[in-house]
Parts: sequence; C-alpha cells; structure tokens
Amino acid sequence: MGATKHARGDLPISLACYIAVMTYRGTDMRRRQLIAAAIVFAVPADAQAGPVVFAAASLTDALREVDRLWVARGNPALRLNFGASSTLARQMEEGAEPDVFISADERWMDRAAERNLIVPATRVSPIGNSLVLIAPADSTLRTALDRGTDLLALLGPGGRLATGDPAHVPVGRYARAALTWMGQWEALAPRLARAGNVRSALLLVERGEAPLGIVYATDAAISPAVRVVGTFPAASHPPIRYPFAVGARRDTPQARALLAFLTGPEAMEVYERLGFTRP
Amino acid sequence: MPWLTGEEWQAVRLSLVVAARAVAMGLPPALLVSLFLGRARVPGRGLLNVLVHLPLVLPPVVVGWLLLITFGLRGPVGHLLYAWFGIRLVFTTNGAALACAVTAFPLMVRAIRLSLEGVDPGLEDAARGLGAGALDRLLTITLPLAMPGVISGAITAYAVSLGAFGAVITFASNIPGETQTLPLAIYAALQTPGGEATAARLSMVSIGLAVLGLGLGEWAGRKLRP
Repeated sequence: MGATKHARGDLPISLACYIAVMTYRGTDMRRRQLIAAAIVFAVPADAQAGPVVFAAASLTDALREVDRLWVARGNPALRLNFGASSTLARQMEEGAEPDVFISADERWMDRAAERNLIVPATRVSPIGNSLVLIAPADSTLRTALDRGTDLLALLGPGGRLATGDPAHVPVGRYARAALTWMGQWEALAPRLARAGNVRSALLLVERGEAPLGIVYATDAAISPAVRVVGTFPAASHPPIRYPFAVGARRDTPQARALLAFLTGPEAMEVYERLGFTRP
Repeated sequence: MPWLTGEEWQAVRLSLVVAARAVAMGLPPALLVSLFLGRARVPGRGLLNVLVHLPLVLPPVVVGWLLLITFGLRGPVGHLLYAWFGIRLVFTTNGAALACAVTAFPLMVRAIRLSLEGVDPGLEDAARGLGAGALDRLLTITLPLAMPGVISGAITAYAVSLGAFGAVITFASNIPGETQTLPLAIYAALQTPGGEATAARLSMVSIGLAVLGLGLGEWAGRKLRP
C-alpha cells in the first residue's frame, strides 16, 4: 500500500514499554506476554499518513494507478475514499476534511462550494466521461439508443435496470436525463434497481441480477463481466464532468501540490488510457 | 398519522411485513438447529455452532454479499430456485426477509438453546419410559417447556429485522415498495438534498417500533417464565 515511515521516536518507545511490562513482577508470565504483545502491536506504524482524497466511485481504478505514480515520486501513499459523490459531499458536510474532493458532477461540487467545503480558486474540471447501457457479458441484447427506443421491452418482464439512485447519485441523474430524453423515464422509473453508487450498479449487472444497467463508459471498460449494448448520445444528458478541488479546511501547499499532480500530465495519461475524455 | 407521506408509510408497512416474514423463515430452521446442537452427539457440532454465529460477527455487508453470491441468479442455490420454481430473491421482499432472517438467526438459536438447556431431561426420560415416541416427546414436553425461549427469540429476531441494513441493501437492493425498509429509507433520505426532515420523521418511527418490540419481548419473557 505504498511507503510508510516510522517516526523516529516509535521504536525506542515500543521497546521501553515491552521491557517495562516483561520485567514487571506484579503478575504472571503469560499475562505479561499478552500485555506486551498488545502494546507492541498497538503502537501505530504509520506516523506520516498520506493526504486524504474523497473521489467519485467511477475513479477507483484510475486513482489507484495515479496513487502508485504519486508514491513512486517519494510521497506518502494517498488515503483514498471512494463513494457516490453525494455520499462524499454529505460526509464533508458532517465534518470530514479531505485534502482533495473529486465529484462526478458539477452540482455536488457546487453544493460543496455553497457550504464553503472547498477552495473555489482551486476548482478545475479536467476530465469527462460518457454514459453507456450495459448488459452481462453473455447477454445478446442489442439496440440503438434513440428517442424512440423501447428499453422497457428490452428489459423483459420482471427485469430491472440497475443504475445509481437518481435522487442523488450523479450517474443516476445522468441516467434519468438520458431516459427522459428518450421518452422512457415514466415507464422505467418503477423498474429501476437504485444502487448507492455506480460500482454497486455495475456489480448487479456483472452478477446477472439486472439484465441491463446504466454506468459510465470507463466502468464498462474495466469490467470483463459486462458488455456495452449502446452509448447514450451526448445530447441526451448534461455533459459529464469531474470537478477537482482542494478541501477548504486543508488548504495547504501540499494539498495544492497533490491537486496539481492529480490534474497534471502523468495523471491525465492514466485517465485517458482508462477511457476518460478531455472536455 | 398525518405527518408521514404515503411513500413513508409504505416503508413502515414494508418493514413490518419483512420482519414478520423473516421470523417465519428463520424460526423453523433455528428450532431444528438448536435441537441438533443441544442434543445430537455427532462430530461437526462445533463447526455448525461457529457457522451459525457467523452473521453475528461478520460485517453485515459481507453477509449480504455472501447471500448475493449464493442466492443470486448465478449462485448455486439461487440458480436452482429460479430454474425449478421461478423464485427470484434479489430485488424482492422475500429477499429482504431472507437477509433479515440470516442476520437474526444466531440470536434466535441462542435464545432457543438457552431455553432448551433449561428443560429437565428427567421429564423427557420419564415420558420415554412411559412409552412416548421422539416426536411426541418433542411436541408435548420439550417444546412447550422451551416456549419462553422460542417466543423471546422470535421477538428479538423481529426487532433485529426491523433494523437490518447492510445485509438487506447489499442483497435485496434499495427498491421503494419492494425492499426499501425503514433503515434503507432513512439512509436514502439522508443522501438526498433536503431529506433531513424525512430522515428525522422515519427515525422517530423506527425508534418507536424498536422500543415497542423490545418492550414486548421483555414482557413476554417475564410472563412466560415458569
């Protein structure tokens, strides 16, 4: 999980505690050994923990790769927290203080900015994505995605369309926009499987529980267990953008340097290779 | 009550239905497992005891995920259920009930075993000496005497099922009207902008139901103590 460094004071302290416990005469040998072991294992090994990044779930694989590049430069490993942008924004509202926040839509970043949770001057949106309809890899469904397409028929009786919850998850909101554009929203709304984030929706299709799903093109690309049935036209939904920003309570040169790296040429190469677009 | 919307009432009703089905699904196996663990003298009892207690110890999301890979359409059991009976569990109310039943299973088994251990084996021996068969002894002597534990276990399982979240959302997903029980509805409300008021109202109902359930359990336990 990357480089961790022991603070210089750690080892002598553990050693001192160990010796103190083992030489204590007030209890039997076995108990002393247990206590000594507990102390040795309880001393934290990670004295210099890396920066915290809250990122949209669809960036899971991309950021893990970028983290490896970051660590290769001699920095402490990033502490990555992936989830729906809505969930992450709520965590920040409740007091979480990431160094960098990356959302999958501008709306949740706007909301974070309204509540003074990010530094607006650092906000950039360097990458985008596209929306696709997916099915399990062994499915033979095919369709174009136009205004008149009957997705309900494609779903079959009892089948559910897996996507993020349209009430708050970005991919769900993009999906709702696209389905509304197609004229299918009213029919499909009761037939959705509302996942907590895009990767949960992906899992449902991978496992064959849902015959169809709506996720980002990059998620479909990374999963061998699903295939893309069609791509939603760009006109059918608001442009998919990933705004990056530094957390308001962590506005340090280190955080800004991290943001610069996450939006810099090495990272952009990783994003593009994984299918993210440049707007 | 006028201060809950139709959708919220749906979540409350669904919670009660799911919890009831969970107890119905879980009680008979819990009874059998308790009898087996208490009476049978075969090797492997220890392992079964550990397996029974797994849902208590594992993170609920793991329980939900294990259910998904077992009872999902591509899982070993789920595949057969669908092929033979057309039964689907993921995304359905019965699936949510199964997730709750598995979560509450260890508690039911513990309560029933405790009660079973309190049954005087001398009474069963006397019955056997007088000619009663095994099933007869079970139904007329053992079970009636163990009833406080069975009822207490059922009520605890009901209360636990009302609150089960991780296993339900991972296995049955979050579908209003089908699987969105109170905890899931509260979670969804918390994620939605402006949903705090809804979450607060639903939480009050949740607390009320939990207090009612546990109070009932206490009362039943005391009433039935011989």
